[in-house]
Amino acid sequence: MGCRVKILPVLLCVAAASPVFASTYIVTVAGLGGEPDYEQRFAALATDMDKILRADGQSDRIVETLKGPEATRVKLEATLNKIAGQAKAQDAFVLMMIGHGTFDGTEYKFNLPGPDISAPELAVLLNRIPAGRQLVVDMTSASGGAVSALKKDNRTIITATKSGTEKNATVFARFWVEALRDPAADVDKNEIVSALEAFQYAEKKTGQFYSEAKRLATEHAQVDDPQHASAFPLFKFGSASAAVADPAKRVLVAKKDDIENKIDALKYQKPLMAPDDYKRQLTALLIELAKAQEAIDK
Amino acid sequence: MTWRRNATEVACTVVLVCAFALQGQTLQGQTIERAEALWRAHDYEGANNAFKALVAAQPKNANYRVRWGQLFYERFNAEEAGKLYQEALGIDPKNAGALLGEAQIMADGYDAKASDLATKALASDPKLYQAHELMARTALEDDNTKKAESEADAALAIQSDALEATAIRASIDLLADKESPWVAKIGTRGKGYQTIAHFYMINRRYEDSIQYLRKAIAATPDLWSAHSELGIDLMRLGREGEARKELQLAYDNHFRDAATSNSLTLMDSYSKFETFETPTTALRLNKKEADVLRPYFEEEMKRAMATYEKKYKYVLKQPVQVEVYPDHEDFAVRTMGLPGLGALGVTFDNYIAMDSPSGRPPGSFHWASTLWHEMSHVYVIKMTNDRVPRWFTEGLSVHEETAASPDWGDRLSPEILAAIRDKKLLPIAEIDRGFVHPSYPSQVIVSYYQAGKICDYIGERWGEGKLLDMIHEFAKNRPTVDVIREQLGVEPEAFDKDFLAMIDKETSKTVAGFADWTKQVREISQLAKDGKNDEVIAKGRAAEGLYPDYVEAGNVYSFIADACLKKDDKVCAMDELGRYSKVGGRDPETIKKYAKLLQDAGKLKEAEAALERLNFIFPVDAELHERLGNLLMQTGDAKAAVGEFQALIAMHPIDLAGSHYNLARAYQAAGQKDQAREEAVSALEAAPNFRPAQKLLLEVSGDEK
Repeated sequence: MGCRVKILPVLLCVAAASPVFASTYIVTVAGLGGEPDYEQRFAALATDMDKILRADGQSDRIVETLKGPEATRVKLEATLNKIAGQAKAQDAFVLMMIGHGTFDGTEYKFNLPGPDISAPELAVLLNRIPAGRQLVVDMTSASGGAVSALKKDNRTIITATKSGTEKNATVFARFWVEALRDPAADVDKNEIVSALEAFQYAEKKTGQFYSEAKRLATEHAQVDDPQHASAFPLFKFGSASAAVADPAKRVLVAKKDDIENKIDALKYQKPLMAPDDYKRQLTALLIELAKAQEAIDK
Repeated sequence: MTWRRNATEVACTVVLVCAFALQGQTLQGQTIERAEALWRAHDYEGANNAFKALVAAQPKNANYRVRWGQLFYERFNAEEAGKLYQEALGIDPKNAGALLGEAQIMADGYDAKASDLATKALASDPKLYQAHELMARTALEDDNTKKAESEADAALAIQSDALEATAIRASIDLLADKESPWVAKIGTRGKGYQTIAHFYMINRRYEDSIQYLRKAIAATPDLWSAHSELGIDLMRLGREGEARKELQLAYDNHFRDAATSNSLTLMDSYSKFETFETPTTALRLNKKEADVLRPYFEEEMKRAMATYEKKYKYVLKQPVQVEVYPDHEDFAVRTMGLPGLGALGVTFDNYIAMDSPSGRPPGSFHWASTLWHEMSHVYVIKMTNDRVPRWFTEGLSVHEETAASPDWGDRLSPEILAAIRDKKLLPIAEIDRGFVHPSYPSQVIVSYYQAGKICDYIGERWGEGKLLDMIHEFAKNRPTVDVIREQLGVEPEAFDKDFLAMIDKETSKTVAGFADWTKQVREISQLAKDGKNDEVIAKGRAAEGLYPDYVEAGNVYSFIADACLKKDDKVCAMDELGRYSKVGGRDPETIKKYAKLLQDAGKLKEAEAALERLNFIFPVDAELHERLGNLLMQTGDAKAAVGEFQALIAMHPIDLAGSHYNLARAYQAAGQKDQAREEAVSALEAAPNFRPAQKLLLEVSGDEK
């Protein structure tokens, strides 16, 4: 995850190896479908997401899911207010919105049973949550229209559409949920799916969906801050994230970190190097890294 | 230039109202002579305005509308021309010019109604020799030389130097490889040579067509339509430099019909393609999918050529070029100069243009079947020097599809069943008409089916060798009826009778039960919705027996398999999907489901075969290559797994590290250590801490470890 990000590589490597969040609050809301097919589809996606998030029984993850008639504005406000009262600065917060959205040219609204909630209204609620790292994944139609209102430092925003004018029902949510189930989404193989990895997975699959169906794509997902998204651990697949606790191995871990930094540095130099030279140096470093990992694993 | 009445009208409204009085005077002063003069002077906009004013001034004059329509027709706007002819017929239902104009538009679209309209035009004006010419042309397109000759003669009896009729008489002789006295009568009238070129072109004799277009241009250098057609013919045969020159020349001289403009645009897009050559083949692929498709296409080209060389006892003297278009409309333009073509592949001499599997929805197109079909054309066209009738080369190609593999080719569709039921199959002597001038919407599809079945029937009754004998006979430019008589020893009528009896035997149950089957499928669908799985299975099996060939959306196999799975009876589902696959079912998701069931049941080789079928249908699927690659690794076929994982990487998968690692594993298993190491490094470049790849890198790094 983080090691491939060009800025602050060391800091992000640490984030990947040992997530700094004490707790992660995750709220999934499946809004109003309007017709039975959509009602069913949205609720099913929220249910799947809920199952995935609870499946590994991680105690540092607090999951709230609102769907069907439960997903009202009042319930959403209550849930967010509750989290505002519990979360700490070192915590992380994730809001995932599935369903329909509307945009009238000025204001985005998330469609809920009963009164809808607008992006500025949502922003007020989110701003009350003290969690230092926030991720909002708005997967509704017209969700691109919500970005300006929700934008804030340390809040990464992912939307299923690039603007409020992409008004057709979206399929992005389906692939976002799939990203948390499919190990292929973990492209850097650190056993953690970052928000950026999940975004890239869902974005690519959404593109394939339209292209295979020979349909003009009516949604173009966007992430407002890819760097922060890459450093936002969304879901862990295995146990690799556990820090090496054995003091005897700390030297080896330090050595491994050093090699990783050298690999990063080499990759930055790639465009300036002769391909053969790059390959030779990279292979040597990768063998060194593999040996270091082998020694740590012993 | 292409314009519309409405566009002109809109443009006219821009003119200030204050100019109206003066303009009105000018417009009222328009005469038919002035409109014609402007037209002759190539001032098409002026002529259009003049006709507009004339029609406004004399709205009941049908002939003005007809001439205006003819102007539109000449300037590539058949739609607007058609409207004007209709308006003229509204005023004067027997207007010969309007009827002929309508007939001309129909004839351009190879619509069988053209002759009827021309007959009506002649009834209105028996001296309208152009109507005879049109009927002669249509008849010759249908390969009905007798009728073509008599209609041409009728035209010449009215107008002794009628150009089109003269050219048609010449074409009849030339197509029969005879010297023709009629050619000299064309003289310096280039349009006549262009007509001959047209008949060579529709008979796929492109070199001859090119020769006559050159003659047309030599006679009439400013015949821009001939320059355009020459450009398109040259493009078909891959002579792109000269093709572009001719098309550009036509375009620059304001001959800008859709075919000319589209062909130039397509040629501009060739920079996006890459050509891979071997001594016997050239494969042109779009760069974005070349890495994925190349191995599969090259392999099938090789396999098809080896098969046909043996079967037809013929070795091609020139390389075959296959061009694969991911955008269907590009393929259509490459073929006809126009979008909207229904075909999947087309052969010009030794050039094949076809859709890419990525150009059609998954499961709707069997690209390998199409490739084999087109490759057969290349051989037959070469072996007969383009003298083969359309029905035979198409029929043989259809026959070869299922000969390559029984699940390839097309299935018996509802349109074909309806045609059999309604006794619409054509006698063998007339079958070409079904390809060129279809008289009902699905007749081309039905004709492909019938021609294919005829070749199947000949192969079964007289032996496959007889088909080769027929190729050799057609090479002598013999007509179908003579070849049938001499090669099969039966009269064409007797052949038709026996053939239809065979079709009846094969299809009568499905034809008779089709209406019932439709009802049953509706019922099964409802039962599936209601969760009545046992009933779905029982009724589904009965419906399946009635129409086993139906494997498209809403097929019974899928209903039954789903019902079996709901009952947790995987064996039942597996058997059902096995039947679906065997009969030619092509939906990738269904086939993948079938492969998974086989895999879970430990039938790895069968699972492998099920997925391998998909490579011939929709190979642009990363999941397919990953699954198949892993299966091949499990069954110990590392070499084949390498191919699958290479295809996976060529698709730029989301999991790049995992894909390179898979390829490294396959190389390692195949004993290709250096390549394994390269791939492990690529995997780790994407994900340096990917532990399985680290382990593999150390394993294949030998001494360095």
